[in-house]
Amino acid sequence: MTVFMFVFKRFFRKKANSLSLLFFPLAALFLPTGEWPPMPLGFQYYSIIILFLASRLAGIIMEDRANRTLLRLSVAPISHLQYLWQNMLAYSVILTGLNLVFVIAGAVFHGSSMPSPVQLFIIYTVFSMTSLGFSLAWYSLFRNTEAAYNILGGVIILMAMLGGVMWPVENMPDALQRPVMLLPTYWVAEATTLVSFREPAVDLIIPMIVLLLFCFAFLLLGSRRKLS
Amino acid sequence: MTVIHVENIVKRYGNHIALDHVDFAINEGEILGLLGPNGAGKTTLIHALTGIIRFDSGRIHVFEKNLVQHLVDIKSQIGLVTQEITIFHDLTAKENLQFFGRIYGLRGATLKERVEATLALVGLAGHASKLPSKFSGGMQRRLNIACALVHQPRLLIMDEPTVGIDAQSRNYILDTIRKLNKQGTTILYTTHYIEEVQSLAKRVVIMDEGHIIADGTVEELVSKIHHEEKIKLEIEDPSETMLKKLRRIEGIKQVGLIGKEVHIISQAGAGNLDRVLAIAREFGKIYSVEAEKPSLEDVFLTLTGKRLRDAEEE
Ligand SMILES: Nc1ncnc2c1ncn2[C@@H]1O[C@H](COP(=O)(O)OP(=O)(O)OP(=O)(O)O)[C@@H](O)[C@H]1O
Ligand SMILES: [Mg+2]
Repeated sequence: MTVFMFVFKRFFRKKANSLSLLFFPLAALFLPTGEWPPMPLGFQYYSIIILFLASRLAGIIMEDRANRTLLRLSVAPISHLQYLWQNMLAYSVILTGLNLVFVIAGAVFHGSSMPSPVQLFIIYTVFSMTSLGFSLAWYSLFRNTEAAYNILGGVIILMAMLGGVMWPVENMPDALQRPVMLLPTYWVAEATTLVSFREPAVDLIIPMIVLLLFCFAFLLLGSRRKLS
Repeated sequence: MTVIHVENIVKRYGNHIALDHVDFAINEGEILGLLGPNGAGKTTLIHALTGIIRFDSGRIHVFEKNLVQHLVDIKSQIGLVTQEITIFHDLTAKENLQFFGRIYGLRGATLKERVEATLALVGLAGHASKLPSKFSGGMQRRLNIACALVHQPRLLIMDEPTVGIDAQSRNYILDTIRKLNKQGTTILYTTHYIEEVQSLAKRVVIMDEGHIIADGTVEELVSKIHHEEKIKLEIEDPSETMLKKLRRIEGIKQVGLIGKEVHIISQAGAGNLDRVLAIAREFGKIYSVEAEKPSLEDVFLTLTGKRLRDAEEE
């Protein structure tokens, strides 16, 4: 589990990483309750934060590829799959830990105006996996680290807007309503919105399954590329 | 024992043949120099040897085991110093070594000991807890080498480990390689600096355009292309008797006298310099000796019609 352990060292060594891990969720916590969805808005926007943090985490793999450290790893007695899997596990641990802290802090801070903390935690954690898979797949498409990273920021915001994280999908042009279902953000927004309306938990099953399928597809796509 | 045995390896990239029926072997305890101009296929050969890339046909045995069948086992006993710097830039020198040590299965006290010994070996003990971004190019190169050494490989493969570094770091690295070889490590050394090969390796393989075009000791290769050596002596009192004596040495083709200078032409590789000097000494003081010997550089130029990239760049 060497790769796994060293992810923590590498990630937290960069001040920007630790700060964004602290700052964004904290800021989200203080957002007021909105009209739509009817809960403190931080719980809705938190999924954008997850996407963003996942992109920073998976950037480690991108860096290893760009710095050719993967070349050295490929002559070591460790398989590429092992390397990927241990990285992903470490990222998941970090995000899941953060989700837990965020949900607990949210419950303490917002009290009864917060809908089901357990359901939110499950949604966040499933979406964390999807986001990690998405970042991995995204980075596997690019040769140039800088470009991949810079564009991704914009893509995340765009996906959030189109997917209905910031406003209801119904407010958008009809032509867009169906295509946006191809975005993972659509399904996470669907899930958090359902929770905000305190709908029964079974309604979450479909969005969760779709997110997991996305995750699976992204991981398949992202793990194919090895070097260069 | 044959540490590496490559038979008939072919590697194609599309229409381009990067390795064209390559054959060669390295014996245990040897330092083998692999020379070749840009694009000769050196890195490709090394990547095939370490299982990084697949090859189209042929066979490779490492430690007398089939590479493809025993890849993981073989990998754990090889150290590869990559041509590019492939260290973690967000880990300190020490952490880099800890990481790779652990990947190769080292733990606890052994790991600690190996990390310290390796840092000392490459002269980075004083910089253990610094990030590589604070390092000079030469120091980064040395860390790049150290990462391949921490697990004490039986076979060390170095792909241009000294490219673009200062003379001091370079000498340090060459000394390190000699030290490791004395301890029993077999070394495959790739470079385009001829002097390095000449000072390190007994045997040299020269590659060009995917082919191995020469394989032998430096002396063998040199004698292959040059058939004579010129020796010029300046002597206190050159006498006819001495010239006669010199002419009788086997392999000496011509002896002439111009003033006080004796000009001798000898068959290359006959090792006549010693004999000539011994005779000359009997006849008084020797003021100067000049022996014109073809170098590996000449061999290279003759065989490939190319200079090594080194010469082009400077
Ligand atoms: N991944 C690849 N795809 C296509 N062609 C390649 C690839 N890798 C190497 N080649 C080609 O194979 C040939 C041999 O390259 P290689 O890197 O092995 O040369 P080299 O001897 O190591 O050269 P250098 O001294 O520049 O490092 C070159 O013509 C190169 O362009
Ligand atoms: Mg090369």
